[in-house]
Amino acid sequence: MSDKLNILLVDDEKDFLEITTKRLTRRGYNIRSATTCAEAIEIIESDWPQVIVLDVMLPDRDGIECLKDIKKKRPSAIVILLTGHASMQAGRQSMECGANDYCLKPIELDDLIEKIKIAHRGSLSS
Amino acid sequence: MIINALKNFFCSNKERSETEICSLRRSFQDHYKSFRSLLTANNIALELMAEMDETLREGQPFSMAFVRGHCTALTVNIYKMIQHLHELSNGKYAGLARVFDTVSEKIEGIIARQPKIAKGEFVLSMAEVDIYSTDQAGGKMANLGEIRNRVGLNVPDGFVITAAATKYFMDSNNLQDEINRRLKLMDDGDLEDLYTTSASIQQLIANAHLPEDLEQLINKQYEDLALRSNSRVLVSMRSSALGEDSSSISFAGQYRTQLNVTDDMLGITYKEIVASKYKSQAIVYRMQRGFRHQDVVMCVGCLSMVDGVVSGVMYSRSPRDPRSEWVIINAAPGLAGQVVDGRAMTDFFRVSRKSPFKVISREIRTHASSTMSDSQAAELADIAVRLEEHFGAPQDIEWSINDKGKIIILQSRPLAHTAAVEEQPNNDETAESFLAGGVTASTGVASGIVHIVRSNIDLLQFPEGAVLVVAHPLPEWATILNRAVAVVSETGHVTAHLATVSREFGIPAIFGIAHATEKLKNGETITVDALGRRIYEGQRDDLLKNAAPPSNLMAGSPVYKLLEEVLRLITPLNLTNPASPYFRPSSCETFHDITRFCHEKAVTEMFSFSSRYGFDEKGAKQLVGDIPLQWWVINLDDGFREGLDLKDKWIRIDDIVSLPMLAIWEGMTAVEWKGPPPVNFKGFGSVLFQSTMNPSLDPAVRSSMSSKSYFLISRNFCNLSVRLGYHFSLAEAHLSDLLTENYVSFKFNGGAADESRRFIRVNLIREVLEQYDFRVEQKADALTARIEKKSAPFLIERLKVLGYLLIHTRQIDMVMGEQGMVDSYRKSLMADLEKIVNPAKENVT
Repeated sequence: MSDKLNILLVDDEKDFLEITTKRLTRRGYNIRSATTCAEAIEIIESDWPQVIVLDVMLPDRDGIECLKDIKKKRPSAIVILLTGHASMQAGRQSMECGANDYCLKPIELDDLIEKIKIAHRGSLSS
Repeated sequence: MIINALKNFFCSNKERSETEICSLRRSFQDHYKSFRSLLTANNIALELMAEMDETLREGQPFSMAFVRGHCTALTVNIYKMIQHLHELSNGKYAGLARVFDTVSEKIEGIIARQPKIAKGEFVLSMAEVDIYSTDQAGGKMANLGEIRNRVGLNVPDGFVITAAATKYFMDSNNLQDEINRRLKLMDDGDLEDLYTTSASIQQLIANAHLPEDLEQLINKQYEDLALRSNSRVLVSMRSSALGEDSSSISFAGQYRTQLNVTDDMLGITYKEIVASKYKSQAIVYRMQRGFRHQDVVMCVGCLSMVDGVVSGVMYSRSPRDPRSEWVIINAAPGLAGQVVDGRAMTDFFRVSRKSPFKVISREIRTHASSTMSDSQAAELADIAVRLEEHFGAPQDIEWSINDKGKIIILQSRPLAHTAAVEEQPNNDETAESFLAGGVTASTGVASGIVHIVRSNIDLLQFPEGAVLVVAHPLPEWATILNRAVAVVSETGHVTAHLATVSREFGIPAIFGIAHATEKLKNGETITVDALGRRIYEGQRDDLLKNAAPPSNLMAGSPVYKLLEEVLRLITPLNLTNPASPYFRPSSCETFHDITRFCHEKAVTEMFSFSSRYGFDEKGAKQLVGDIPLQWWVINLDDGFREGLDLKDKWIRIDDIVSLPMLAIWEGMTAVEWKGPPPVNFKGFGSVLFQSTMNPSLDPAVRSSMSSKSYFLISRNFCNLSVRLGYHFSLAEAHLSDLLTENYVSFKFNGGAADESRRFIRVNLIREVLEQYDFRVEQKADALTARIEKKSAPFLIERLKVLGYLLIHTRQIDMVMGEQGMVDSYRKSLMADLEKIVNPAKENVT
C-alpha cells in the first residue's frame, strides 16, 4: 500500500463529491466516494479507508446512524462528520458515538485537510 | 530516538526491563497524544470564543447561523477536551461531563427558543384594537387603534387580521419548514440567489390555500365595514408586523402595501402581504439588523381607502435634535404612498410646537402655490404634539387630508434619531467639489466606485463597497444597502424609506442631486460627503478620516440579545486560581471555565505522569552555559537532539531542538540583561536572589515542581512556567505545519511592587504585545495574551518577543513610579524588540 492517506468521502451531493475528490487527489490523497450509507459500509468492509468524511444527511440513512454502523464494523475508523445544519445536540451526539470531528459546511478545502490530518494524527497509536 | 529519550526519562534511577520500557513508552505516547489533541481543541475553543466576543462588540451583522455554528463547534471541541482529559487522568474528573451537559443544555435551550405568538381572535375590528393588542395586531395597527380609541383622532375605519390568523394560515399549509429549508440553502452573499429564493418563497405563500374559516371571518369583517360605510368601500391592505416600529428599528418600506383592494381580492391580497415578509429587502434588512425570520410575524391591516387631497409625513420634532421646538411637515398632493416611497417632490413646513402653531418657515416645491393652508399646518402640528405627548416620545406620522378637509392619521411611530438631518437645501457650489446640493438623507462620509442602478439587472451586478447612484430612492433598492457605502439620488428627501434605512445602516446618503445619474460615470471613484452635501472626485482621505465610526447595527436586536445571553454561559472565567480549593469541575459555570480546567489539569497530568511511573524530578535537567538565571527542562518527547547522552543532569541549549523553546530562548538572550535597575539595588537584588538562587531550587534538592521555572518541551511544543519571587508567568506554544494546531499563549500575574506599579507594568506589557499582534485580555494586574492559527515563522518571531519580555520586564515595576521612567523603558523595550524581531516574517495565511 502506498503511504498516501486513503480517504472515503460519503455525500449524496454529486457536485461536492466530484470537486472534492478532484482537489484532494491533486493534494496527494487516495480518494473513493460513496453516495449512500450502504455503499460506504461496503467500502469500509474492504478495510480500505483510513479516514471517512461523512455527510450528516444521506438518502438511505441518517448520518449519525450511519456513523454507528461504521463504528460497529470498524471501531477504530476515523470519522469526520460534515453538516449543513449546525446543531449542538447533533454535534454532541456524534462525538458520543465516536466521531473524531463534526464540522460545518461549507468548509474550505484547506480546513478540511487540516481536520483530516489532525484527526488522523490524533488517532495514530504506536 | 524516542525510545532512548524515554529510557532516560523513566529510568533515571533504576534499570527497567525492555518490556516495562515498552509498555511505559506506549502509555506515555498515548498520554502525549491526548495532551496534544487537548491543546489543539483548547486552541480552537478559545479562538471560537474570541470570535463570538468580537462579533458582539464590533456590531457587524451576524445571523443565527453564526451563533448556532459557533456554539456547535465549541461544543464539539470542549467535548474533545473533556475526553482527552479523561484519557490523561484515567477518568479522575468525572464531574466535568455533568457540568458540560448542564451548560450545553442551557445554551441549546436559549438557541431553540421560539417567539411566542399570542393566541386569540383571528380578526379584530379597529374598535377592538389599542396599544395592548400589539402582540396580536402588530405595532402599526395597535398604534392606529390607540390613536382612534384613546387619543380620539380620525383614522381610517377597518379591521386587522392578527398574528394568530397568520400562524394558523402558515401552519395549516405546513409552510414554515419549507421556507426555513429554502432560506438555509440560500447563499447570503449571492444577490441572484437571494432574489430567486425570495421570489420562490413568496410564490409558495401566495399559492397556499387560505383556510375557509379564516376567509369567512375576513369576509364577515368586510361586510361589517361596508355596512358602517354605507358602501362597498375599497380598502388598503398593509402589513403590521410584530417587532416593527421600535425607535431604532423602522422596517421602513419592507413589506407590501396594496391600495384600492376590492372585496373579492381580500384573500389573495392578504396572502401577498404575508408573503412580502420574504421580499429581498426585508430578508437583507433582518439579517443586517439582527432579526431571525421567525421574530417577525405578519399581521395585516385592512382599512377603508382615504381619498387624500394632500398627504405627507410629519415629525413631532426635528430628527436631528430631540429638543427642537418645531414640527416638521412634508406634504404633497395626492396619496401618502408617494411621499414615503420617495417619488414625489414635497413642500416643506417648519411649524412651532406651541399654540397657535405658527408656520416658522416653508419651502414650496410642488406647485407655485402651497399644498395646504397655514391653519391646516397648524392643525397637523397640534396633532403631532398630542401624539408625542400620548406616546411619550417624538413621533414620525403619516397623514392625509381628505376632500372634506378632514385630517386622517394613517400611521404613527417613534421617531428614529439615527442621526437624521433636517432638510436644508444647500446650493453653494464650490470649485473643489464635483457635484453639490440636495439634502442630507443620512449623514457621514464614504468613498467608493460609482454604480448607477436603473433596474434589477444593474442591481444584480452591484459591486461590494460601491456608491449606489439612482434617479429615485425606491424602497426596493434597500436590498443592496448592505453592500453599498453611500447613496446618491436625483430626487427624494429625508422622509423616504430609503433615507430611513440608510440612516439605520449608517450609510451616508444625499438625495435631490440633480442629474447625478448623468454626471457620474460607472466605475469612477468618488467621495460622498453627505453632511456637506458634496461629491468629490477620487478618494478623499482628508474627509474620510473625520468620518464617524460605524454604529453597532445589531445592538439590542433579538439575535444580538440572544448571543449576549448565550455568551454569558460561554466566556466569563470564574476559575482563575488553580491553587484554590474551588478549582474543581463542580465550580465550572461556563464553557471557558471548562476549557481552563481541562488545560490546567492536562498540564498537571503530564507532570504527574512521570511521578506516577517512577520518574522523579531529577529527570528534569538544568540548563547550563552562559545564561541568565536558572532553568530546568523536561523532555516530553523529541525535544532533545538525537544522540544526546541522557545520563547527565545538565543540558546545554545546543542540545535542545524544540522550536518554540529555542525561539523563546533567543528572545531571552538576544539582549544582555543588565541586571536590576539602578534603584535600591540591594532590595531588588535580594528579591531576585531569593527567587533564582534559592538553594531549595537546586535540582538535586527535592521541592515542589510548581515553584521552579520549567520548560516542558517536545520538538513542536513548549510550556514554560516561570516563577520568580512574586511573579508567575506561563508561556505555551505549539508550532507545526497545521495552522489549526499553532498558537502562542502567555499568562502573566502578580509582581513584587505595590499595586499601582504593577498596573503600570501590565499596561506596558499589554501595549507591547498588542503591537505584535497578540490578543490581550487584562484583569487587574493579570494578563493573558494569545495568537492562534498563524504560520510557524510568524509565531517564532512572537515567541522571541515573549522571551525578551520575560527577562527584561521582570524588574520594571520597581521603577515604575514616574511617567518619565515608563516612557524611557518603553522606548528602550521597543528599540530592543525592533532589533530582535524580524518583521519580514509575515504570516503566510
